[in-house]
Amino acid sequence: MKFLCTDCDTAMKFKDVTRPEQGSVTALFECPDCFTEIAMYLNPSETQMLKSLDLKLGGNNEAAQPMQMVRSQLETAKSEPMSSMFSSETSSDETTEGGKCPFTSVISDTFQEESVPDEPTGPVWTPEALERLERIPSFVRPMAKMGIESFAKDNGHDEITGEVMDAARGNFPAQF
Amino acid sequence: MKTYKDLPSDAGSNIIGQVTAQVNRLQKRLASVKHTVAIMSGKGGVGKSSLTANLATALTLKGNTVGVVDADINGPTLAKMMGVRSATLEYTSIGVKPAITALGTKLISMDLLLAEDDAPVIWNAHTQKDAFTWRSSMEVGALREFISDTEWGELDYLLLDLPPGTDRLPNVAELIPNLGGVVVVTIPSEVSQLIVKKSVTMAKDILNVPIIGVVENMAFYVCQHCGEEEPLFSAEEPLDSAFQQAILGSIPFDPKLARASDNGTSYLGEYPDAPASKVLMQMAEKIQAFFEN
Repeated sequence: MKFLCTDCDTAMKFKDVTRPEQGSVTALFECPDCFTEIAMYLNPSETQMLKSLDLKLGGNNEAAQPMQMVRSQLETAKSEPMSSMFSSETSSDETTEGGKCPFTSVISDTFQEESVPDEPTGPVWTPEALERLERIPSFVRPMAKMGIESFAKDNGHDEITGEVMDAARGNFPAQF
Repeated sequence: MKTYKDLPSDAGSNIIGQVTAQVNRLQKRLASVKHTVAIMSGKGGVGKSSLTANLATALTLKGNTVGVVDADINGPTLAKMMGVRSATLEYTSIGVKPAITALGTKLISMDLLLAEDDAPVIWNAHTQKDAFTWRSSMEVGALREFISDTEWGELDYLLLDLPPGTDRLPNVAELIPNLGGVVVVTIPSEVSQLIVKKSVTMAKDILNVPIIGVVENMAFYVCQHCGEEEPLFSAEEPLDSAFQQAILGSIPFDPKLARASDNGTSYLGEYPDAPASKVLMQMAEKIQAFFEN
């Protein structure tokens, strides 16, 4: 992707990338002559495509970690090796390197966004619905929870009940 | 107004540079591998994984250093077949130490990364809706990392067990431009040979990857009592003549071989004198001869 400032006829430069929201990412580009900024929005599929290719917006100056794509993107991975790797490496990066690639942070933020157990702005789970959620196999539970919450938000439900879960059932592959 | 080609770079992301770095990582790792061999068929259920496990063992018994990539990302079975399913992968700064069998064969498989027996491969995403648009890229990326990030060390042979489908070999051929050759697996049935022919065409005529040979798996059944050979599939349908010219070996069906795969034990070690073991060892010799000549 290349961006041209049509007023200056100058190639724009990558400036920043924002936190993801609902899986989408916003990248900012700036004209080095007139400092005009433009924002490029990646929808969740485009963001996911970039992640699947293990590519980073704004460049990547970090040394590749072994199997970094598989280990960071596999939802159903063994938990022990994954958590041990990321907890140590994240803290190491944060303490020893100031210039972390923005997109790496974005990916980390995306995980946090998706794994936060109680999203304060999201719909509220009723005890009955939470009980049903607990019966979903652990390895697909985060994905199911996210899918149900997304369905509830999209359909204007402030509360997730058993009925909402039934309605959301066809939205993703996991059965519950 | 400037055109795409007039602009010097992609605004600083250097996507080409990032892709080049991935390719370089792969090439650097493959530099210590003498020969890469893809095991393919195009059709499922012909025994590719079982053959891969036993060929790897046979080549190891011949004194070679052998690594195996279970390229079936969604249906990984080799960790179980090779008896290393309980192995824990060790991550270091330069790569991932593979699982190693009792004989010293090295293996990387998605099965070694999955949390539970019933855990399928699900990729982290904001939504799984429209996942078909990016899932294949994830799978190719996973295969690339399996090859490039595993600490193989010096290998004589790296075997890749491909999942069914004629589209799989092009992915591998792109990742490994100097792919040494392909072993094509079929069974004596018209249905299998119909699909396998497409795989042969894909390898030989489209990708220009050498065919090391064709393996006729479950070719016949040896009676446990009298030793007589009986056909397991339709006796009136001999192996296609095009395949016969490139035959690497015909492996008799042996329930003990299937049991060894289930148990993760070495069939060749337990039954070295079985007819199937002899054929497997001969095939290993032919593969060696293919690369020596």
